[in-house]
Amino acid sequence: MFRLQGSKVLAVEMTGDAVKAKNGSMVAYDGQMAFKKLSGGGEGIRGMVTRRITGEQMTVMEVKGHGTCWFADRASEINLVGLQGDKLYVESSNLLATDGGLRTGTSFTGLRGASQGNGLFTTTVEGHGQAAITSDGPAVVLRVSAQYPLTVDPGAYIAHQGDLRQSFQSGVTFRTLMGEGGGEAFQIRFEGDGLVYVQPSERNTIAGDV
Amino acid sequence: MSTYPGAGPVIHDPMTLPSDDNVNNYTFCVELKGTQWFLQKGKMIAYYGSIDFNGIGHGRLDRLVRSSFHSPLHASDWVVAEGSGRMLLADRAFDVNSYDLEDGNLTIRSGNLLAFQPSLSLKQSIVPGFLTLIGTGKFVAASNGPVVFMEPPIRVDPQALVGWADCPSPCHHYDYGYMTGLMGGLRAMTGLGGASGEEHQFEFVGAGTVLLQSSEALMAEQATGTVPHQAGVPGSGGSTGGSPQAGAPRLPGQLGDLQRRFGL
Repeated sequence: MFRLQGSKVLAVEMTGDAVKAKNGSMVAYDGQMAFKKLSGGGEGIRGMVTRRITGEQMTVMEVKGHGTCWFADRASEINLVGLQGDKLYVESSNLLATDGGLRTGTSFTGLRGASQGNGLFTTTVEGHGQAAITSDGPAVVLRVSAQYPLTVDPGAYIAHQGDLRQSFQSGVTFRTLMGEGGGEAFQIRFEGDGLVYVQPSERNTIAGDV
Repeated sequence: MSTYPGAGPVIHDPMTLPSDDNVNNYTFCVELKGTQWFLQKGKMIAYYGSIDFNGIGHGRLDRLVRSSFHSPLHASDWVVAEGSGRMLLADRAFDVNSYDLEDGNLTIRSGNLLAFQPSLSLKQSIVPGFLTLIGTGKFVAASNGPVVFMEPPIRVDPQALVGWADCPSPCHHYDYGYMTGLMGGLRAMTGLGGASGEEHQFEFVGAGTVLLQSSEALMAEQATGTVPHQAGVPGSGGSTGGSPQAGAPRLPGQLGDLQRRFGL
């Protein structure tokens, strides 16, 4: 059971079940806990190789036991995401913890990843259960529906879930080259039905200075 | 429309997003209805609807720029958002707040200003690194920690100063020990003999409001160039009519050129 204690610490109550969490993110626990490093994020040999090839590495540990375990990562804000059979796409660096029963994997993101400087791949989380994602400042959750498509700055994007199509928009014109660009040269447009998580801060991106 | 129970406390869509108000302490939502806003580059994090972002200097914006943007040094940092929809602004997870000016003036550190309505006009302050807004309208500013409003007379730490409204521009204030000869200078530079780090302040007098942030972390200063070389313009590096070596760097404790002190 995931629970936020304040906005920057995640408390997980466990009764013999397991959670997967970012390596080294445990800050305290009571009761009996066993920590085990999962090579390749517990995705088997195939997942391990995929992660190595795609550069979407994450070091994950499995925490199992009885009691409460607290997780935190560099005082960043934590957001809980509930999954009911749908898929969450999140940058591996923003994924803090998932229920043991959720499957993680990698997927191709295309140009969005490249514009963020995060590589061409992203992490997916799938199944039924809860996940915790981190953000710089509390994330704003925005709903995308058929009549309301959403456009997001790649540097502020952290995750999305649901049935969304994303397309990459580039506003690079000759003006950009002349230093008179609109400042928002790269954007991701989401269409469909789902949720997008954005943080009130922008990572440094290639697009950031364009 | 499917629901996502447990997906964070609030899910926003264009209907529930506020109009020209804060979404939370760190995010501000601007509603555009065919209107325009000036915003600093890269502070938009997401938007619904159709909004165009054009750099200052885009031909079509000539009239707008003529009436409300008077700072060529900062022109490359600002864009005009135009269209209809709702747009979210944020900056490095700093606190974001909007302020209303009514036929007033407010001077603010250039990095802290995120966006403003074109009914205000933006000018460069005579104090380097600051911008002045004049007129009536709304603007959005970021600060590290909530903003505190103070009334002059007050002396403030240079790093905590966000801006000031309606009062005369501040002056530098140095504590007495800072000025007394060589030892004062050495103490200020090295900290030997006990420097508190608070020997230098900005002093405000007169009627108005001073805005302070509750932290001493600054926004990254962006190099914006300098004002034109011109006699009498502060910070321009232009001749001030003094001695030719007037620009030489000097210890903080030093009182001035020797020649000047002996009246040569």
